[in-house]
Amino acid sequence: MDDPLDPPLEAPDHPHDSSGVDVTLIRWMLDMTPAERLQVLQSFVDATWKARGANDET
Amino acid sequence: MTKPDFGSLLRILAEHGVDFVVVGGVGAILQGATLSTFDLDIVHSMDPANIARLLAALGDLDAYYRAQPEKRLRPTQTHLASPERQLLMTRFGPLDVLGSIGKGRRYQDLLPHTAEMTIGGGTRIRVLDLETQIAVKEEIGQEKDLAALPFLRHALEESRRKRGPQ
Repeated sequence: MDDPLDPPLEAPDHPHDSSGVDVTLIRWMLDMTPAERLQVLQSFVDATWKARGANDET
Repeated sequence: MTKPDFGSLLRILAEHGVDFVVVGGVGAILQGATLSTFDLDIVHSMDPANIARLLAALGDLDAYYRAQPEKRLRPTQTHLASPERQLLMTRFGPLDVLGSIGKGRRYQDLLPHTAEMTIGGGTRIRVLDLETQIAVKEEIGQEKDLAALPFLRHALEESRRKRGPQ
């Protein structure tokens, strides 16, 4: 039986701090080149525009 | 409203040889911050030759003041020589041309705090570093700027961690 005073074998991952920022997403972004990060932003904008256009049509 | 195309905006400014620094949301995202934005913010050099190049780029971009779109008011040399913000609409979306940011920080003040980056198509741009972005937002102290601070601070912290000991 595990001793509750022993540290866990793997530290629990806490990707969010008290501010709520998801650090895993920042790490994901930092693994990209600046050009790829710009593409992520552009894809977000494109998807938002497309969704807005679809809503305008309804 | 025109859909933003950040790559095209940056490419045209660079093709015209404009000396500028990318600040704001796009600058932060280029350095890993998980924010979103719909406009491009730049601070330009107020050297007269650079203002002439910027005017040419803005002509190519069909830029006009977005506050009164029906009037299609165009920025002039005098506007671009002022430390104020010029809030423009272009054929590639909103572009904020800033004479200064924070407490009067101009292009030449920001230049030592920038990094050069390559984006698509070999376009090279200068981006304000996260340390200075944070300092500027703390100086401004508006609600929207303060809200972005946790994202910028975490991006800076993770970026330093990734780089390792200097």
